[in-house]
Amino acid sequence: MPDPVLLAAQKVTVRFGGLVAVDGVDFEVSPGELVGVIGPNGAGKTTFFHTLSGVLAPTSGRICVAGDDLTGKAAHVYAAQGVARTFQTPRVFKEMSAEENIRFGLEFAGRTRRHDHDAFEDAPAILDILGLAPMARLPAGGLTPARQRLLEIGMALGARPRVLLLDEVAAGLTHAELDDCAQLIRRLRDELGIAVIWIEHAVRVLMNYVERVAVLHQGRKIADGDSRVVAKDPAVIEAYLGEEVAA
Amino acid sequence: MSFWIELAATGLITGGIYAVVALGLNLQYGLMRVMNISHGEFLMLGAYLTWLAYTVLGVNPLLSLPFVAVALFAVGVGVYWLCFRRILGSAPSVEVIEARSLLVGFGLMFLVQNLAYLAWGADLRGYAFLDHAVDLGGVRLMANRLVVFGFAVAASLALLALLRYTLIGKAVRAMMQSSTGAQLVGIDTATLNPVVFGLGLALAGVAGALLSMVYEISPGMGEPYTVTALIVITLGGLGSAIGSLLGGILLGLVEAFGMHFTSPSLKMLLSYGVLIAVLLARPQGLFKR
Amino acid sequence: MSAMTLAASLRITLLATLALAAMPWLLSDFALSLTLSCLMYTGLAVSWAMFCGATNYLSLATSAFFGLGAYVTAWAFGDLPYLAIVLLGGACAALFAALVGAAVLHLRGAYFAVITFGLGELVRHAITYYEKSVHHTVGRVVSDPPAAETVYLAVLAIAALAVCTALLVRHSRFGLALRGIGADEGRAETLGVNARLAKASAFALSAFFAGALGAAMAVRWTYIDPPAVFNPFIGFQTVLIAMVGGAQTIIGPIVSAIVFSLLTEFLRLRFPYMFLIILGAMLIVLVLYLPGGFASLIERARQRRRKANA
Repeated sequence: MPDPVLLAAQKVTVRFGGLVAVDGVDFEVSPGELVGVIGPNGAGKTTFFHTLSGVLAPTSGRICVAGDDLTGKAAHVYAAQGVARTFQTPRVFKEMSAEENIRFGLEFAGRTRRHDHDAFEDAPAILDILGLAPMARLPAGGLTPARQRLLEIGMALGARPRVLLLDEVAAGLTHAELDDCAQLIRRLRDELGIAVIWIEHAVRVLMNYVERVAVLHQGRKIADGDSRVVAKDPAVIEAYLGEEVAA
Repeated sequence: MSFWIELAATGLITGGIYAVVALGLNLQYGLMRVMNISHGEFLMLGAYLTWLAYTVLGVNPLLSLPFVAVALFAVGVGVYWLCFRRILGSAPSVEVIEARSLLVGFGLMFLVQNLAYLAWGADLRGYAFLDHAVDLGGVRLMANRLVVFGFAVAASLALLALLRYTLIGKAVRAMMQSSTGAQLVGIDTATLNPVVFGLGLALAGVAGALLSMVYEISPGMGEPYTVTALIVITLGGLGSAIGSLLGGILLGLVEAFGMHFTSPSLKMLLSYGVLIAVLLARPQGLFKR
Repeated sequence: MSAMTLAASLRITLLATLALAAMPWLLSDFALSLTLSCLMYTGLAVSWAMFCGATNYLSLATSAFFGLGAYVTAWAFGDLPYLAIVLLGGACAALFAALVGAAVLHLRGAYFAVITFGLGELVRHAITYYEKSVHHTVGRVVSDPPAAETVYLAVLAIAALAVCTALLVRHSRFGLALRGIGADEGRAETLGVNARLAKASAFALSAFFAGALGAAMAVRWTYIDPPAVFNPFIGFQTVLIAMVGGAQTIIGPIVSAIVFSLLTEFLRLRFPYMFLIILGAMLIVLVLYLPGGFASLIERARQRRRKANA
């Protein structure tokens, strides 16, 4: 029987010299979940993402994808197992066209992965979901930052993931763009059946769209559960005291 | 016993020169990520300038030193403006800056070296200066080598002091640690870069002037020193001035003793082997914390 | 991207190769020698660009690979047929590249360039020491070398193979992976590209051609010694040719190789210093003002035409 847990982090710790960026974090994602990861600046969210996607090997602890221990393996192994991600600053292939950018993932990680949904069929289909179809032939470097952010997501979708890690996709967006973005993320989970882990600074927006939220503070996980319950957790509120809860 | 001391002394003296050359290259690379592979050619220019001053004008090489430093500083600023400023302004990433400046460096190397060949021919040139032996407590050393060592160490220490205690030195160190941060507090790279580049070439020129007092010179003399400087920087760690000083002296000693025990033809093998080994095992250098 | 289809490009390459194969019986000795030189640099530049153009690595290891191939000839000539030696030279260089690559390909930029430059020198000094201490010799003699036509056809075959390989790689997934690595290696990895494997393979592949060319050309020196065949200038010239032509293209290095070989032939012996001065100045101007090489000028013109028509 296949392991129901898609992605599991067990006591993951990341140390850079004397600095502990991530401290003994346990975390699990099951199919179909839409989970938010929040925390004040410097909480270790992005570093944690790096371990979940194979970009960085944890100093100690384990990362398991669908039951397989992938700790310490290269990022492309994670991608082949269905873990795809975006980066905080969009890392698109600037000289290639938007369509080529998305086709890249389809050619490599996405190639070996079955897809149950027409949306993953090919690059034009993915461009459609994102509303980027008119820009298919344009070089990615020339797109506006907001569109590049969408393209980032598209590139990750090209890898036909089971789990999508989104790192602060909403940064710098206007209120309207933010809502559009959040709705898109919701659609990815609802219609495409992808589990989504979403790091976000715009906490208020995130809270409206996710069912579950985990809170990191100084590298440690201080809360993990229903978003409404976590929002009232005194430890969480204290961690954010003095921080601007952006929206 | 005195034989070993003399061997060590030779190593120290060579190492002192290596340190001066490496310091110049280190400053340039650490600050601007410009790997000036033509560095040695400017050492060669310094040597020829000193030789010319001595043979044509009869100027004492020690007196030429400050002039060579100033001249090569000016050349350095000019070279920066003509060749490297554009790369730093237009390149899309650090790797591209490094790659392009390396290629420009190769171009400069061909250019300068062969201009020298055209101007002065391939024959070895030289002059005699302080070539008598001095007896220091039973150890016999050539006077000119002692002078060279003294000046090399003085120049290195002066640079280290400059970096540590002056405002411009602090600016350079700040830039090397964090370019963005430094610019945010108002450090002006547009002025700093050419100054540091000029300083680097001035150091190379001084090293060349010192070398001309002891050895014969030729247009091709610079290249091996560039390679050695690269090895020293790798050993000592990029951006670490004291690392370059210690690394240079260490390499000089290693070479002196190494050459004694194995055949001279192994010297280059040893040097390159060390370079590659260090680059692979400890890319941040031996002395960096 | 290339305006021609893969099939069309391959067809043209094949036709050109056949035409060139007839040259030994049509050209004078001098002209043939010149064509040989063009072909050698074409092979070197195209295979260099195959790896370095796509991935944006700056490799100066061509001298090491070429020299290794040449020494395979020095050691094996007489014991094995010429063709076998050429292939063996390529294979040895490729193996060397794969081993070395595993150790150095995680470095980038100037570090990588410097280490590959150092490799050439290291191999040269290692072989010098080995020859002197184990074989008590400085150089080796190639007695009874193959005919000029044989050497020419061998070099032509290698160059043609290099061009075809470069074309095939360019239009394949492998080429796409390399371009992704050149654009953003970390990103490409998170999208499923095994960067270590891709880089090592491409590095070894390009080394094969350099090694084969070294093995093939070595018979033209009747006396082979390390300083002759491990000449860093071969590495510089290869990089220069590829970059001047446009390292991201295939036709760029080919045209550039031809122009360079002609220039070298007519200038280098007559004005050796002037030649290098011009070369140096050209390199500087090119890197500063035309880093994509001449092929980028053509690409820019094409894009301008496209925008005008859109």
